[in-house]
Amino acid sequence: MPGWQSFYHDLNAKNFEIISIAQDTGGAKDAAPWITAAKPEYTALIDDKHLVTQLYNMVNVPTAVWINEKGMIVRPNEVAYVDNRYKAMHGIDAGPYLDAIRDWVANGDRSPFVMSEQEVKERLKPPSPERAMADVEFALAEYLHKNGKTEDAIAHFKEAQRLDPDNWNYKRQAWALSDAEKNYGTSFMKEVQKLNGKPYYAPRKLPEVKKP
Amino acid sequence: MLKTLVCIAIASLLAAATSSAATDKDRAAVIYDGVPTEVTASSEASKDLWITMDDLKRATRFVVKPQGVCRDELCFPLPAKRKAEFISKRGAVTWFNLTAFAALVKQPVVRDEKNGVWYFGKREDERGTYLASLEAPNFTLPDINGKMHSLADYRGKKVLLVTWASW
Repeated sequence: MPGWQSFYHDLNAKNFEIISIAQDTGGAKDAAPWITAAKPEYTALIDDKHLVTQLYNMVNVPTAVWINEKGMIVRPNEVAYVDNRYKAMHGIDAGPYLDAIRDWVANGDRSPFVMSEQEVKERLKPPSPERAMADVEFALAEYLHKNGKTEDAIAHFKEAQRLDPDNWNYKRQAWALSDAEKNYGTSFMKEVQKLNGKPYYAPRKLPEVKKP
Repeated sequence: MLKTLVCIAIASLLAAATSSAATDKDRAAVIYDGVPTEVTASSEASKDLWITMDDLKRATRFVVKPQGVCRDELCFPLPAKRKAEFISKRGAVTWFNLTAFAALVKQPVVRDEKNGVWYFGKREDERGTYLASLEAPNFTLPDINGKMHSLADYRGKKVLLVTWASW
């Protein structure tokens, strides 16, 4: 978050807003300390039901979507790091992506990083029936957890993970809410090791643009 | 304050749903459009959730009309030959099969049997609706001060929507 704050501040563009959304079942209790520390001038929201994850069919954080002045998606879900803190783990360089955003803010829909409608449509897939069912299992689990039935929530979190196995949000959130080793027999680091070279994030493709 | 009240309301609703009385009726919690409502569930042996017409309206805002199961302008006709799967009159009470209706409109449902909670998700016609228009789906969420913000408020600006998490 501090990285996005300095990026946003330096860009100082009237026609551009960052809406940052915490995907946290714990709500403000878990997310607010980070937001308070970052002192964002942009819009920082808290989503304690993972609604945006469901609505945009996301599977990971950080995930970004570019939305133009007319409210249309011009770049769909993709990994969006603002710095290289975790580059050793995922291998994604933040620099070219930040340059792409600057280009978009300056040039709008003429930016080479803005995708055609057809390209966006090719990349966006409708949620599978399994994903739709996983969303409901996850929502039920969250509801039980929030009402003090954390033990009973575990079976539903597990079912959500089984139905949508590539959804890291549904895994990591569930593991964070209880003892992952005890209740799920795993941990985030163990699962990352299991990837065995397979990328953690779907690869991001930015067009090559010659610098003037 | 309001949040506390809502939490208390939900907690008591769950407590009521879990302590089922030893009568011919059971309490259940139905979550529809994200909103929990306590209902009376028919205790007849069934994997389905049968609720009263009053509870149908309270929990879902749908009502049964001659033309189908309707909410505002939206109506889902019931297949003529299968009405008995959806509506059943027993004694003075008319029951509605909410899970059969969910199957009809392709709406995912999950149940936590122990706690008597039924969670109804989005109908098929409500999922991925933006894929044709590419209009970014709207949402309304709070900031750390509880002030609500909608994506639609930012029309006229470019928006970088970016998710993160504390976990």
